[in-house]
Amino acid sequence: MFNIFKKKVLNFNVNLEPSNKEIVLKPGENLLTVALAQGIKWPHKCRVGSCGTCKCKVIEGKVKAEIDFSNVLSPEQIENGYALACKSSAKTNLKILINLL
Amino acid sequence: MKKLFVNTRYLIVPAMSVVTILGLLSGGNYVWTGVILFGLCAIIDTATKNIHLRADFDENGNSYGIKFFQYGVMYLMLIVFIALQLALAWKIYQYVNATPFDVVNAYGLAIQNGITTTNLIGAVISAGLWAGIGIIYGHELSHNKKEGFFISRLIMSLSGASHFTYAHVYQHHLDLAHEDDPATAPRGRNVYMHTWLSHAGQGKFSFELEKSRLKRQGKSFLSLDNRWILGYLYSLPSIILFVWAGGLFVGLAALLTLWLIANFELEALNYMGHYGLIREKGKPVEYRHSWDNDSVFTDWFFIAIGRQADHHVRGETYFWELDDVKGPNYGIGYFSLFLITLIPPLFRSYMKKHLDNWDSKYATEEERNIAKQYGY
Repeated sequence: MFNIFKKKVLNFNVNLEPSNKEIVLKPGENLLTVALAQGIKWPHKCRVGSCGTCKCKVIEGKVKAEIDFSNVLSPEQIENGYALACKSSAKTNLKILINLL
Repeated sequence: MKKLFVNTRYLIVPAMSVVTILGLLSGGNYVWTGVILFGLCAIIDTATKNIHLRADFDENGNSYGIKFFQYGVMYLMLIVFIALQLALAWKIYQYVNATPFDVVNAYGLAIQNGITTTNLIGAVISAGLWAGIGIIYGHELSHNKKEGFFISRLIMSLSGASHFTYAHVYQHHLDLAHEDDPATAPRGRNVYMHTWLSHAGQGKFSFELEKSRLKRQGKSFLSLDNRWILGYLYSLPSIILFVWAGGLFVGLAALLTLWLIANFELEALNYMGHYGLIREKGKPVEYRHSWDNDSVFTDWFFIAIGRQADHHVRGETYFWELDDVKGPNYGIGYFSLFLITLIPPLFRSYMKKHLDNWDSKYATEEERNIAKQYGY
């Protein structure tokens, strides 16, 4: 009966297009870190949100930005759902457009 | 038990900062507490320089670090650093108003009112040394979480260095070990010159970054949307406090001295982190482009900021997860090395063997050629 007091940890499924690869993120986990740990060749360089190499487009779902993207991405890119994977975690299940290496 | 140990071992600075504040509040010779603690740390760091530990993970590879706790401590340190300035301002107020010397008891703490000129100097140095340590929180918070970034700005602005947060993330991490990075010291430069050049270079970069961002967004440079201007405005409460407490001469001189000490410590960390290292423009940042300082006391005191090699390659990683990645390593802690940097000829002589080793064992052919072009 005490299970009701246990915090449920929801994992988020992330579908990568066009490669159709799948990864699973725990709440708060970094998108790029998890992808790289699973051997996915996601383009990246600085890993602190300053170079823009890991830029991707969120087609479905929402990410949590861990840093202000506006120093790297233009207002139009942010408006169109672009995010920096090295500074993003998942808020929902995601479908992401990213050209892997 | 292991979890408790891993999470509490990084509380050296919070504990010592509070003791420094209590020293300032106690007055008399106790205002030198911060200086004495700093010296004590240098002795412990030097005595334990040969102890190097790895990051701790459980059998499943999960870190023992508790993010909520570590972030809570870092956020609370903003209040501690504000309290440090308030305590110093109070002693300055007593000095300029020639408060009579007497002892009062407050909550079991014997407080000596009034302060001599010598002890005021001690109070300013004590506060400056510990305000400068704020860099370790300003640095960590600059990398993760939007609210953390803002707290980082506030902590750095207490030392008149709010530009650091932007320059560190958007310039230093990109241009590291290249001549475009003002925070990387080329071979031959001493720490005193580096302090001015790095500070000015990072300030200029923050200015340009904001100018470009506002232009892209179609906003005016002269507005409250300007984070470069806001950064300096965040330092305004400190200026008002010290001018109120001690006037334009004593108050402002004390604050500027505190800022000078704090910024010197900040730039000394940059100096030690990448001195003389070389990277080709556009090539990936590798472990070899940073010097590690990970002896046990340095690691716990500076919340693993000395694990530069891992940090610069995995910039999104929390400090308690950073590990020894076998990058170039001084083999001694930051306190010991800091004392060596204060004497430039000694530092150059100490670094010769390390740079020779880097050139022969770590550098690529292209990096060695760049070194030759500069006459190294």
